[in-house]
Amino acid sequence: MIKKTLGKIAGLLVLLLILSLFVFLLLYIAPGDPAEKRLTSQGVVVTKEVLQAEQERLGLLKPFFVRYGEWLFGVVRGDFGLSFKDDLPVAPKLLQGLKNTTILATTSLVFSLLVSYPLAFISAFRKNRLADHIIRIISFIGNSLPNFLISVLLMYFFCIKANLLPVIADGTAQGLILPVLSLSIPTISRFTRQIRSEMITQLSEDYVTGMRLRGVKERYIALNVIRNSLGHVITIVGLQIGMLMGGSVVIETIFRWPGIGKLVMDSITARDYPVIMGFVLIMGTIYVVINQLTDLCYHLLDPRVRT
Amino acid sequence: MKTRSKKTRAKLMRRIVIAAAMAAMLLVVVTFAGVFAPNDPYATNAACIRQAPSVTYPCGTDNLGRCVLSRIIYGGRTTIAATFFLVAISFLIGTVIGILCGYYGGMLDRILMRSADVMLSFPQMVVAIAVAGILGGGLKGAMIALGIPMWVGFARLARSHTFSIKHAPYIQTAILAGKSTGYIMRKHILPNILAPILTNALTQIGITMIGLSGLSFLGLGVVPPQAEWGSMINEARAYIQVAPWAVLFPALAIVVTIIVFNYLGDAVMDYRDL
Amino acid sequence: MMEQTMLKIKGLSVSYEERKALQEINLEVTSGKIVCIVGESGAGKSTLLKAITGYRDLTVEAGQIFLGDQEITTRPGAKQNHLLGEAIGVIPQNPAGSFNPIRRYEPQIRETLRSHHMVYERERVIKAFASTGLHHAEEILAQRPYELSGGMNQRVAVAAAMLLEPKLLLCDEPTSALDVNTQDLVMEEFVRINRESGTTILMVTHNLGLAGKIADSIAIMARGKIIEQGEAHAVISAPKEAYTRKLIDDVPKL
Repeated sequence: MIKKTLGKIAGLLVLLLILSLFVFLLLYIAPGDPAEKRLTSQGVVVTKEVLQAEQERLGLLKPFFVRYGEWLFGVVRGDFGLSFKDDLPVAPKLLQGLKNTTILATTSLVFSLLVSYPLAFISAFRKNRLADHIIRIISFIGNSLPNFLISVLLMYFFCIKANLLPVIADGTAQGLILPVLSLSIPTISRFTRQIRSEMITQLSEDYVTGMRLRGVKERYIALNVIRNSLGHVITIVGLQIGMLMGGSVVIETIFRWPGIGKLVMDSITARDYPVIMGFVLIMGTIYVVINQLTDLCYHLLDPRVRT
Repeated sequence: MKTRSKKTRAKLMRRIVIAAAMAAMLLVVVTFAGVFAPNDPYATNAACIRQAPSVTYPCGTDNLGRCVLSRIIYGGRTTIAATFFLVAISFLIGTVIGILCGYYGGMLDRILMRSADVMLSFPQMVVAIAVAGILGGGLKGAMIALGIPMWVGFARLARSHTFSIKHAPYIQTAILAGKSTGYIMRKHILPNILAPILTNALTQIGITMIGLSGLSFLGLGVVPPQAEWGSMINEARAYIQVAPWAVLFPALAIVVTIIVFNYLGDAVMDYRDL
Repeated sequence: MMEQTMLKIKGLSVSYEERKALQEINLEVTSGKIVCIVGESGAGKSTLLKAITGYRDLTVEAGQIFLGDQEITTRPGAKQNHLLGEAIGVIPQNPAGSFNPIRRYEPQIRETLRSHHMVYERERVIKAFASTGLHHAEEILAQRPYELSGGMNQRVAVAAAMLLEPKLLLCDEPTSALDVNTQDLVMEEFVRINRESGTTILMVTHNLGLAGKIADSIAIMARGKIIEQGEAHAVISAPKEAYTRKLIDDVPKL
């Protein structure tokens, strides 16, 4: 057991190391020289001497692995470097953005689960009846809508046509409604489809037949089915978090929600690479860790696979 | 419950045919964009800026006086062609790698599949946004960003199916008959594992379209003035109050197209699950 | 004392997914007896049991089923719950899988009893377990099915069915998953249950030899019909149908 846990942790560390290497390489796939990019993004006239000095200052003349090591060492201590734009440390900006994104994403995730679990439940227990058909059609359509489309349409109908809600997510609860809704609609649709199919699998298991034949009340059968579907649902949630991260970039940009996604889009426009790198590193790490945790939860919830 | 009645089978087949016919229609319209588009999608006209839908401009005009419908049709060509190309390339690379891994196993298999796992361990859209962003936008950047994780899915699928039929008698017979490995892979393995991989390719179409139009919407995919649905919506949302048609019609085009391809994918999957 | 009819099936025809599965079944099960339905797989034995349990996907085309003097051919959901378990106990084909594999037995048995408005009394459960040869009831109740062997789970399933004190027990090849020795033990168990509590048993099996050992009467099924029925020794010693003779010949002799 201990050996296994240690193995998992080692695997996790290797994964994070690969992630960091990938992020560091992002700087190299970017067209042009980093020092030059930094100077131009600050509006400095680039001459050969200035460039050389900047390269020296940034340590660009050192060998690759030395620079990677230095960078990684900084990152581990929470130093994500200085912004190309204003020479301020990147880490506080990223953290502030992350906080706001977490609010947005967590609200959507909780909301999505609260909506999709009952829907999936009704759909599975009333399979091929009217309610199931309606839920399936709606979740199919919801699953086919891109995030940005939902945001733009919601904005058009609620803010401009009906004038009910603010156009910009200004940090108030009201401002949060549309971003959360935009992020949740595809999530709800996907969850509903996946949880429904897991519940249908559960319903065809022998134990459900056994319970029915013992005349056990549907209420208890439902509880057992929900209980046994939890492990699978947690895995689904873990994977969906990756989608939420991508979706929040789009939605934060549209609603101007001051999250990490909007920050990264602004930084892409400004070619502020340290922020982009920090964004990928932080999101990647969160995703990898969460999915390790959901894996663990799955094993706890379904003890059959524990050994 | 093993054998479903013929009725369900026929019903599903009908769904597939309907969906395939609609998909084919979309393909015809965008392939012959020049025939179907009423106007030049790039011709600006200062005299008719943001005009409501009319006979000459069935979906109205945008803020440069360009015909929205024509741009939708040409934009569809960009989106659909890029999607098909991307899925096809991923399909090819993934299937070849998957078959090789499944057939030979061993070290090659371990290394490639391990790196495939690693690629799937990271949030794909986050990586895609960063890669496309750093590459500085453009369709090529967006396609590279979306293609990196996609081949992995195909490779894993092809590998597991190859693995499961590797020891089947007909393949063993072919080996004993002295057929070359390449021949066996082409003539015996590929035809037998093609169905599930093709189904996966169908379901990837909708997903890729969502990703591609999303990146374009963010300005990380197709760059204006080239027409693309996501970027059209992004441009037009600034003046959605005065010219909602410039947003709503491209939106409709995206929704319809993705629904048609997702519906086709679902129908084929259900049919195969029977 | 006059013999009472526990279960009566009159002219029952049933279809499954638009195919005829049972045709013109007539069967009478007398209270307190063991009746075996014998036939090869696909003969419709299990379908017949499913029809009695009111399986949803079956369509009754014609005929009636009576339990005592109550007609149970079709029934609404609430009545179904009450009927199954309490009046009709069922031991399914894979009894070992009839409990949720990842939950402890105790709450599951409590749920079963509560569904029938019975109080969960530990003593009674332990007694029921003991009567099926499970002597470490306390431990078993704290364990999950996946942690126990198939044979153990099977016994728990039988014990749980008996806890509800059904008048009629339906068994669908209850021993098909077990080895020969355990099979005999479980069969003796059913005979004992029948003797001690007077529970009527209707058992489906493909094993005519086994049926001969325990049954009071036997019905032979083939292609969705009952082709021969009568007292067990009569059917076995003087079969009327060629098909029955073939089944008898197939019984391995030691």
